[in-house]
Amino acid sequence: MNRWIILFFSLIMTGAFAHGQKTHSLGDEAHSIRDSGKTYHESISVIRKMHPEFLNHKRDKTLREGVRTEEYSLKGCVTCHATKKDNSNDYHSVNSEGQFCSTCHKKVATSMDCFSCHRTTPAQGAK
Amino acid sequence: MEKTINRRDFIKTTTATTAGVATLATGITLTTFVNANENPVTNEKRWGMLIDTNRLTETDIDGMVSACQNEHGWGSDKLSTGDQKASWIKKLKVKDTATGRISNLALMCQHCEEPPCVDVCPTNASMKREDGIVLVDKHLCIGCRYCMMACPYEARSFVHEELTDQKEHMPRGKGTVESCTMCVHKVDKGEQPACVASVNSDAVIFGDLYDSSSKINQTLKKVQSTQIRADLNLNTAVRYSGI
Repeated sequence: MNRWIILFFSLIMTGAFAHGQKTHSLGDEAHSIRDSGKTYHESISVIRKMHPEFLNHKRDKTLREGVRTEEYSLKGCVTCHATKKDNSNDYHSVNSEGQFCSTCHKKVATSMDCFSCHRTTPAQGAK
Repeated sequence: MEKTINRRDFIKTTTATTAGVATLATGITLTTFVNANENPVTNEKRWGMLIDTNRLTETDIDGMVSACQNEHGWGSDKLSTGDQKASWIKKLKVKDTATGRISNLALMCQHCEEPPCVDVCPTNASMKREDGIVLVDKHLCIGCRYCMMACPYEARSFVHEELTDQKEHMPRGKGTVESCTMCVHKVDKGEQPACVASVNSDAVIFGDLYDSSSKINQTLKKVQSTQIRADLNLNTAVRYSGI
């Protein structure tokens, strides 16, 4: 019986560590929001599942109707989820290997075309 | 057991509910009007430009071109050659053959009311906003370049190479068509387009063509102005005086 309990706990812990390691590419701004105890997205599971729909809807609102709110703007995603290079003020591209976008997209084998046009790092002077 | 409701109780509940809904609705209305950018643009406005070719010097036009390049990040494409190079706004010399008079024009997308580029687009990527600004929705653009052929002003360009480090407000990419956006990202914030802001004099005026108190509307009432290729009946939003 004890053996089963040990096995069960070790599985849970492995899961927890694996999850913890994945968040290293969360992005600088997003990290500091999370560390301060605030939440930006209403629900992580909703934004994980629905972000393509949110982005598609928002792009039409912005481009065609001129609605320029921050919520679900791709610019906003990049600003928060980009990570600075070590010892430098430059950012890693948000879609490059191991960074925020590519971590999941690679796993689920999608190749998105956002960043053949959109900027992959926050603009100079942005936070 | 059947519940009966008398007249007095009915009035009480109805009043309370109405008051509740009214309070909620007031809150919603208040937040809606806080930020103008939350509302879609409407056709109560039509953005336009008046270019006075008598006052606009060649240096001014060069300034307008480089202001546009800096704002949108075009013009430094390395691999494109000749006609492939992007050109959102260009300097044009026109000569009156009868008198020999030469005028210099800054020519960009004329933001037609009846844009031929929108008519020919097979995917609805070429589009006109409610406030008259003609844009390319690059999400839908398949790069067929019909719009470039349809445009009488040759105002559009095609991106022939892969680009990186684009401007945050101006996504540009290989395989799509692009042109002057009348700096829509600035206009939505209540600012002037970059080329207009780069000219120090009143040689270029930007504003709402429909607003009778706007400078552009009042100037157009006073001075003689013309549309380029007015014979095509496109009703352009960019007008010229002095040619």
